Amino acid sequence: MRPLDWIVLITSLVSIVLYGLYRGRGSNTVDRYLLAGKTMPWYAMALSIIATQASAVTFISTTGQSYVDGMRFVQAYFGLPIAMIVICATVVPLFQKANIYTAYEYLERRFDSKTRALASAIFLCQRGLSAGLTLYAPAIVLSVILGWPERTTTMLMGTMVITYTVLGGIKAVQWSDVQQMGIIFLGLVMALVAVIVLMPPSVSFGDAMFLAGKAGRLNAVTTHFDWNDRFNIWSGLIGSTFLFLSYFGCDQSQVQRYLTGRSIAQSKLSLLFTAVVKIPMQFFILFIGAMVFVFYLFVQPPVLFQRAELSRIEQAGAFQPVAEQYNRAFEDRRQAALALVEAHHTRDSAAVGRRIAEYRAAQKEIDGARTAAAKLVESTGGEKDFTDTNYIFLSFVTRHLPAGLVGLIIAVIFAAAMSASSGEINSLATVTVVDLYRRYVRRKASDHHYLAASRWATLFWGIYAVTFAGWGKRLGSLIVAVNVVGSLFYGSLLGCFVLALAFRRVGGTATFIGMLAGEAAIFSAFLFTGMSYLWYNVIGCVVVVGTALAITYLAPGATATTPGMRQPV
Amino acid sequence: MPDEPPPFLGTWRRVYIAVLIYLCVIIAAAYLFTRAFQ
Repeated sequence: MRPLDWIVLITSLVSIVLYGLYRGRGSNTVDRYLLAGKTMPWYAMALSIIATQASAVTFISTTGQSYVDGMRFVQAYFGLPIAMIVICATVVPLFQKANIYTAYEYLERRFDSKTRALASAIFLCQRGLSAGLTLYAPAIVLSVILGWPERTTTMLMGTMVITYTVLGGIKAVQWSDVQQMGIIFLGLVMALVAVIVLMPPSVSFGDAMFLAGKAGRLNAVTTHFDWNDRFNIWSGLIGSTFLFLSYFGCDQSQVQRYLTGRSIAQSKLSLLFTAVVKIPMQFFILFIGAMVFVFYLFVQPPVLFQRAELSRIEQAGAFQPVAEQYNRAFEDRRQAALALVEAHHTRDSAAVGRRIAEYRAAQKEIDGARTAAAKLVESTGGEKDFTDTNYIFLSFVTRHLPAGLVGLIIAVIFAAAMSASSGEINSLATVTVVDLYRRYVRRKASDHHYLAASRWATLFWGIYAVTFAGWGKRLGSLIVAVNVVGSLFYGSLLGCFVLALAFRRVGGTATFIGMLAGEAAIFSAFLFTGMSYLWYNVIGCVVVVGTALAITYLAPGATATTPGMRQPV
Repeated sequence: MPDEPPPFLGTWRRVYIAVLIYLCVIIAAAYLFTRAFQ
């Protein structure tokens, strides 16, 4: 990091905190603190939703994923528009008219208190787990770039987020998200421009696309069906529709964004705008990773992108043959890539076919050398199942981008992490106070008391996220880890809301038992099968609905709801 | 809180259909993109 990078980074971070504090002033009632007094316009809610969902993991891990595996991950977002339409048509008007603070409040009105409590507990478990991961991702950044301990970085990040979230509430969170999205968009565009400009003069943008495609890095759509394949069009359209229905319909970190809307129409517009923008945005981020792959066809990358582990295995005797294989394979691939571009220019299809075979053979050699190096990390006492996917993009940024741009990209990572983290902390605090504290501990207290409780709960969850972030290292590819953790819980929550909205005869007890059965089914699929996590949401939802319906119609006596439990909130 | 009509296309139903058409176009474009560079 050069002085200009530091200036850009510090300016960006300080402005985020100050802007959040400025926008959050006046949050002096519970309604203003948790729902922004229902004054937010659609564009601010939409950008906040996108920012909350696009954590730092999105930029660190997604780009790395397309570098090693291509752009297939974009299919995981194909279900988003379908889910948004369903939510706009059903959940948004219902929640807005019910005048609630959390999605789980509605469950008590529809079912009973124990269903609300279980749904709240599931949310707190799931979101609490990912809150740590959200802060862990940028901690990797600074540990790689500055050599700072990850703990120090996490503390710094956490302190900034906690400051404006505790003081300004959701208004500060959402308006700072808007500003953060501005930084993120700018950084992404600049990163793509930079990687294209840095290509060798003999390689045009069209050539770069051609080379990425022939290496399988532009495989945005795969149409074959396989239960165990994480990303294909079927798991994308079906599995991810259920995931996003759960995420935007039942996850308070998202529901709370659109509950702040000044009207139902504003809330609907914010979700539909997100549906339209998100797939191209994800495509764009993955495309940057594919272009980084092409850049490294001509500039030799390290055999492993994680510097600390690379330095360690370089001392091992077994590293030398791996390094020699890698160097040889890189030169072969570089020559093959240049020859392929030349054959492509001459439109000689026979030559193109031959060059593609050579190019792909060299790529296999490189993959083999990288796998051997990763195994060496394990065999010399390093991390088990080592992967350096999360380090690829940052390694490129710090080694090759010009001064100023490095600071901007690091600011993007920070902005993304802070927006996602502040949204999570804010929603965790809301559920804690509204669904647990106000429901079970202090049922009647002043607005001032609940406002103070909300601030303390926000502080608690901020500290919790910082503490839990220390465990992030034990998880693999971060983007997948976050989604897997979410999918373990979302299916049951979705099933519960489907029952609430579509099956009026189903009562609280049947729903409660259905949710427990749904969680059991999801964890069985997770522990005993290799099924893609996108299917967990489908399984959980189907099992919850099926079990509750079976209980309702086969044992009607068991579904009777205790009258005292159906109290208004 | 009353539901209001959307600021464009007249009804929410038409807006939803427009978003679904957009999704089909995006998937078709992504598929063609994949085939073009495979």
